[in-house]
Amino acid sequence: MDRNVESQVPERKTLDYERLEIGEPLPSYEYLLTQEMLEQYRQGVQDPDARFPTIAVKADIGAYHRKYEDAGSVNARCAYHCYNPPVAGKKIRVTAWIADKYVRREKPYIVTEAVSVDEDGRLIDRVITHELKRPREVGKKWGR
Amino acid sequence: MGTVMRFEVGMEVPPVSKTLSQEHLNLFEASGAHQGPSIFTDPETAQKTLGMGRTVASGRMTLSFAVEALRRFFGGRIYDHTGVADLRFIRPTRAGDTVTVRGKVSGVTPEANGSRIAVELTVQNQNGETTAVGGGSAIVPAGFLPSAE
Repeated sequence: MDRNVESQVPERKTLDYERLEIGEPLPSYEYLLTQEMLEQYRQGVQDPDARFPTIAVKADIGAYHRKYEDAGSVNARCAYHCYNPPVAGKKIRVTAWIADKYVRREKPYIVTEAVSVDEDGRLIDRVITHELKRPREVGKKWGR
Repeated sequence: MGTVMRFEVGMEVPPVSKTLSQEHLNLFEASGAHQGPSIFTDPETAQKTLGMGRTVASGRMTLSFAVEALRRFFGGRIYDHTGVADLRFIRPTRAGDTVTVRGKVSGVTPEANGSRIAVELTVQNQNGETTAVGGGSAIVPAGFLPSAE
């Protein structure tokens, strides 16, 4: 199975923020969690006991980008709920949706949410992400 | 023989510190199967997308450090099944930075067969600048005896 989720992206459409609907489902997808992914994650976060490599998969954003393309975004807030550590060698199924959208200080945000379940039906995690859909604001404030 | 874990408001979560290299950022992105150039791995993409000439670390790396701090505090048997971490990112983290996650118990709320222990979290870089704030929690069963992990 191709583990590169980006390579499996179907035809996408350009984001129209005004038309985006809260509750709108995003495409579900599956990927194989490999031992290599687990080991790379543990090396990346410098934690040999790390148990949730699914954090790095960015499941909700992966689903979003299967449907939409845009000018990029910045992670403004992220919540992660642990239910059961995933097992390498198992397929993981991601179900995701648009949880909210809002404008704060004249900047548009999108909230995506995803739940991951493995091939045995074990609930793995839930992730909720608030993305600022105007990424150059970061460069304006912090660029150097 | 273990001892009963007691969580009280004000109790400190042992800090977790990480110094990040570009290689760590690359490994993190690769582990999630994100293989193309991105704001996390490619300065040119960071410039084009963010208007910044340097890569930034994914907020989810900082989130992973918070998860580690909370897992070590509560123990994996609790945190891996009931844990939550929720961070707002307020300043970018870059390769070369050292970030430290600190936490303190902020609330103990009874739930069925246990208590939800809430923790306030702050993440700072090597300059003492706050990069993220938020919280976390886990549900600790009543009378839980932790394993020696």
